[in-house]
Amino acid sequence: MSARSTLLLLCFVAYFGYSFQPPKPTKWVISKSCSLKVAGSTNINKFNCAIANYYKPDTLTFYKNTHNENVKITGKMELDVNNFDCHNPVMTADLRKTLKAKAYPKLTINFINLDKYPDFKEKNGEVKGKVNIELAGVTKTFDVNYKFIVNGTNTLILVGTRRVNFSDFKIIPPRKLGGMIETNDELDIEFNLNLKMMN
Amino acid sequence: MKKIAISGLIAGLILFAISYGGLYLAVRFFPNLFIEYNSPLFNSDGSRDLMFYMHPFIISFALSWFWARCKSVFKGHMLFRGLEFGFVYALVALLPVMWITFSSLDITITIVLSWFFYGLMQAILAGLIFAKINP
Repeated sequence: MSARSTLLLLCFVAYFGYSFQPPKPTKWVISKSCSLKVAGSTNINKFNCAIANYYKPDTLTFYKNTHNENVKITGKMELDVNNFDCHNPVMTADLRKTLKAKAYPKLTINFINLDKYPDFKEKNGEVKGKVNIELAGVTKTFDVNYKFIVNGTNTLILVGTRRVNFSDFKIIPPRKLGGMIETNDELDIEFNLNLKMMN
Repeated sequence: MKKIAISGLIAGLILFAISYGGLYLAVRFFPNLFIEYNSPLFNSDGSRDLMFYMHPFIISFALSWFWARCKSVFKGHMLFRGLEFGFVYALVALLPVMWITFSSLDITITIVLSWFFYGLMQAILAGLIFAKINP
């Protein structure tokens, strides 16, 4: 092999070796005051339910890729469906029943990716990402719009919003009095994550 | 027997139209009265819708039989006979049922009163129909 070929080979290895270096993981711990809100409606009223003050010391790991903007995430939020509060005992009980809380007491949001890493130079901004939501024994992947707010150094608030349908999770929206009172299939989900960087 | 069945069927059809027409309009124009129905106490999967919509026929056939047995007790003008029949049904059947319902279920007095009033109106209407077609 000539010196020129060897040099070319070395350049090739160096370039692709650099390209294929593993993404840098950044660990974020889910801190207090996280919440999940759902908003829906029936043909007679609207309802807003929330799991406030979700706190489990879970960790989200962001894998920043140098060349690809897509940021892989591992980590999840696991919420108790029985902690939903609709500010009305009747609505609260009905939502829990509708979401099959007895059989499936957990609502899990698995974070998959973000289309880019939040820019800490900006105070706030928007990113998109994918999550898996597991509800009533059915898991489905959704694209989520996030708003992020940089809250001091190493602290980030992520607010994810997404409209889902009861039917996405094979849940029949409740109907009462022979269908005279019907719950609409759409449900707006908003989750607030307070994250603190660990490393 | 045939008279009872025909009176029951006619009353059932009229009650069906008026009861569910009225209920539909009430839900549309007074939605706040129905918020409490968003409760797990009430069937929500649609599996009993047919039974729900059969109610006017069940009550009409039962009242038609009751009318045939007791119509001689109700005297006077057709209007008074129908009204008295309705009030008798409300006193004998509805009031005790509503009493035990309110005492045992976690529902408001408004709901129980609305059910009582709804049943009373159905019975009066059925009584008027029976007084007219099966005097």
